[in-house]
Amino acid sequence: MSSLQSNADSTNSEPLQRSNPKKRRKIGHTNSPTLVPWRSDTQQRIYSSKLAHALRHVLRRNHPPPPAKSNTGREVRETADRVLAATAKGRTRWSRAILASPLNRWKLRRMHKKVRKAATGLAKRSPETRRRLPVVQKKARVLGRLVPGCRKLSFPNLLEEATDYISALEMQVRAMTALTELLTGGTSHASA
Amino acid sequence: MSSRRSRSRQSGVSTEITDAQITDLVSKLQQLIPELRARRSDKVSASKVLQETCNYIKNLHREVDDLSDRLSELLANTDSNSAQAAIIRSLLM
Repeated sequence: MSSLQSNADSTNSEPLQRSNPKKRRKIGHTNSPTLVPWRSDTQQRIYSSKLAHALRHVLRRNHPPPPAKSNTGREVRETADRVLAATAKGRTRWSRAILASPLNRWKLRRMHKKVRKAATGLAKRSPETRRRLPVVQKKARVLGRLVPGCRKLSFPNLLEEATDYISALEMQVRAMTALTELLTGGTSHASA
Repeated sequence: MSSRRSRSRQSGVSTEITDAQITDLVSKLQQLIPELRARRSDKVSASKVLQETCNYIKNLHREVDDLSDRLSELLANTDSNSAQAAIIRSLLM
């Protein structure tokens, strides 16, 4: 389909793919077999074990009971996202963006939420450079904000990142649900 | 429709992205979204696909947030009980 630039190695031998270090992207016609198969059970198990391992550190750090403001939920969320991005093996832009700035993400998110509300009235590009219908363009912009690291991506690349991101998120939900059920099941068994 | 240029500004190089590619990507995206999966792709506009994609991602984010909160509660509470702690340990090791 389209070839994504990989920092580690370029396994795509798509003729249009640039091998220079700059982040240039071209849309090719080959499939991307290097992307992670998020739906496979193996992937979910890999993610679950990595997540459990990472959560152990969170557990240890919070073992002396945390103070009144319990932001452990956010820590868990950040850990889960980081592990998800790590499982993606850095072949997608969103995963690299998550791994690149773990500390700033939440603060940036809140900042940008405020900025977004103020900026909705700003003018779009001048009509002669209109490349898509303005409606689609607006929605594409919203989508670019939702997927990490894809704010200034071209439309086709954005769609591709979103596709992978959604599959990854679904797997994350499945894995965390299973983990929660496991822990909840453990609670009821112990009390019986 | 004529083909349009890529949005990325590469010096001296303009990438032409065909509408066929866009349509292909949009239909792939549509297949992922449970709400739109059943509908035929020629009946769903790109704008609707994008809209539902955004909604779906927001929902997934919210689910992950909820699960994170529940997990953090469970991890904090099950520390006290030894039997549960044993399960946790066997799980996390």
